[in-house]
Amino acid sequence: MFGNQEIMLTEKKLLQDLTPEIETTGIRWYITFAIFFLIFCVGIYALIQQIEKGHIVTGMRDNVVWGLYIVNFIFFMGLSYAGALISGVLHLFHTGWRKPVIRLAELLTVISLVIGPFFIFFCIGRLDRLPFLVMYPRIQSPITWDVIAISTDLVGCFLFLYLSLIEDFAILRDYNDLHVKPWKKKVYKVLSLGFTGSEKERKILTNAKNVMAAMIIAIAIIVYSVLAWIFGVTLQPGWHSTIFGPYFVIAAVFSGTGLLIILMYIYRRVYHLEEYITKRHFVNVGVLLIIIAAFYGYFTFSDYLTKWYGSIKMDSLLIDKLFHDYFALFIFANYIGILLPCIIIAFPRFRTIRNITIAAVIAVLALWVNRYIIVIPTLETPFLPIQDTRPDWIRYSPTWIEWSLTLAGVSVYGMLFMLVSKIAPIISISEMKKEDKIEIMK
Amino acid sequence: MKRKIALTLLFLSLFSSKEVFSYSQENPKISPYIQFQYFKNNEENSILKTTLTYSKNRMELPLAGMKVAFYSGSEEKKRLAEIITDDKGVAIYSLKHDSDFFINNNGLWPFTSEFGGNDTIESGISELLIRDVTLNMTLTKTDSIKTIVVGAKKKEKGKEVPVSGETVTLYVPRMFSLLPIGEAKLDETGSASVEFPASLPGDKQGNITIIARFEENAEFGNVEKKSTLKWGLPSAYSVPAGHRALWTKTAPKWMIYSLSVLLSGVWGHYLFAIISLIRIRINSKKKKVENKELFIK
Repeated sequence: MFGNQEIMLTEKKLLQDLTPEIETTGIRWYITFAIFFLIFCVGIYALIQQIEKGHIVTGMRDNVVWGLYIVNFIFFMGLSYAGALISGVLHLFHTGWRKPVIRLAELLTVISLVIGPFFIFFCIGRLDRLPFLVMYPRIQSPITWDVIAISTDLVGCFLFLYLSLIEDFAILRDYNDLHVKPWKKKVYKVLSLGFTGSEKERKILTNAKNVMAAMIIAIAIIVYSVLAWIFGVTLQPGWHSTIFGPYFVIAAVFSGTGLLIILMYIYRRVYHLEEYITKRHFVNVGVLLIIIAAFYGYFTFSDYLTKWYGSIKMDSLLIDKLFHDYFALFIFANYIGILLPCIIIAFPRFRTIRNITIAAVIAVLALWVNRYIIVIPTLETPFLPIQDTRPDWIRYSPTWIEWSLTLAGVSVYGMLFMLVSKIAPIISISEMKKEDKIEIMK
Repeated sequence: MKRKIALTLLFLSLFSSKEVFSYSQENPKISPYIQFQYFKNNEENSILKTTLTYSKNRMELPLAGMKVAFYSGSEEKKRLAEIITDDKGVAIYSLKHDSDFFINNNGLWPFTSEFGGNDTIESGISELLIRDVTLNMTLTKTDSIKTIVVGAKKKEKGKEVPVSGETVTLYVPRMFSLLPIGEAKLDETGSASVEFPASLPGDKQGNITIIARFEENAEFGNVEKKSTLKWGLPSAYSVPAGHRALWTKTAPKWMIYSLSVLLSGVWGHYLFAIISLIRIRINSKKKKVENKELFIK
């Protein structure tokens, strides 16, 4: 159906290598999934507690009204936009090495985008008022911009992922040696939309994919800038900055690239994809991480330097707080988290797959901490005292409820990646088919 | 091995140097800086003001909550009061002019401000010699020329004599600070005059305040006289019409247009992608029918 015999052989090899993960599920998969599910259940219990007793069970008070939930929200949304940017750019520029990693970037986009908004729901005290956002929207409000932007982005990213999956669904539908349950075959049949691989269909699909790739790049930049402006348009110390939009976008790509490396490492190891995801891919994505780290470091330095030099009272208080109360976190997020990954990846003698992954883990953790020190210390530096304020309202520390819901979010994130790998191949078969045949056959 | 030892020593020295220095010697006591001043205002009320500070990292920081004693006299002293410094390190004592102050041989009032110190801060003392002075300010207008005439008299051996050779500075308060409008050097009759600038804006009615001051004078300290009159140009400030109004019921038009264009563009492309999916579906169905017909034939 899809061309000459040589390509059929390539496809057969690809199917033999990439479909076992869909056909069979090992005990390790179940154990990991069960652990994630257990954490998720603890999170559900925490959520029930929070709904029953109110936000008093969290560490958030009148001053620090945004805590761990908003930190996680920004973090996950950043991962999503980074995934969109990376997959869009890799697709549009036809980067030769992109094929084994592009699906991971697409999944990263959609799954992060699904998880992120849940943290907003956790943060809202009156969930019953949530429909008001849609019923009585105020276009002037950055919160409304965010609602519009996220929903638009969600639709766009789902569409892009689906477009890139259609060919694979068609291949799996037509693969007679695929030993899966009948319902799965039915799913492939429905989702492939009867794609036959004809020249005309391919052209339509390629055009649609190209348009959507360009769109999701633009949307990712706009949407994450909108999220940054929610902070930037306020006059709060540490947030009121003209560079917050591009700074957030760069920071997002930094964390997303880091997570992409981690995902590559995990899937490579678990599904034995050593033949497909090679050291070359790690080095290439690693180099991308260094470049983005340089930009991210530059933006961070520029932002704090101007605040420090300007010596506006509240900015000075904030910087003083960052260098005293948050010293360790500040150093980790803005020095170690940027410099260490660069050092590890920049020197060829350190540049192993494991080391690059360690560098990526450091980068991702540092970025999460960076989000924390952007949100919390600012709120702990209020312009005006609240009537009858108490010291514990100003000093924030997350409770077990917030940590549980955070971990629950991470566990659902993991579960979704695990579930998706049971439906769709984690490496795009259709993309790989287009690659140099000799390389694959090797 | 040598290299390892050298690196370890370098590492240790880098991270421990601060602690070594801080614990190897005893912490010295803080040396306070005492600024002692005399002020006399428009209502002839006088105060003694002591500002207690210390220097840390090249910054002058206040010493709050410290006891400062005020005395009349320097060798033979009469205790006036003991005041605790506020968060700016300032202690103020209002002088009662009917009080029985010491007067030295030259007819000056000697005052002393004393800080006793504590376990961590050294003690300190500061002295002032003040001669009481009466500052006058007369504002005259001849034709369109407005003139400020200042005069000062001091008490010497029980007599009032004119102050000569001293400088009185003239100010007009503006929004953030005092605007100097001239300096008047007192002649042998103890008076001097300065022409008032004609172009200074006042409030809506043209009211303006003029201040005459002896500043940090070695003999008189800080003495002030002020007066308000309609010598300024009346000024009317209008509220700018184009104020920001994001709290209004409707959003600004530019925002509505921008958002509409942006969203139409994005959702238009989505529509294109969805139509592409429908076209694929239709095309595949057509092909299926064609294949069936081909098979039947």
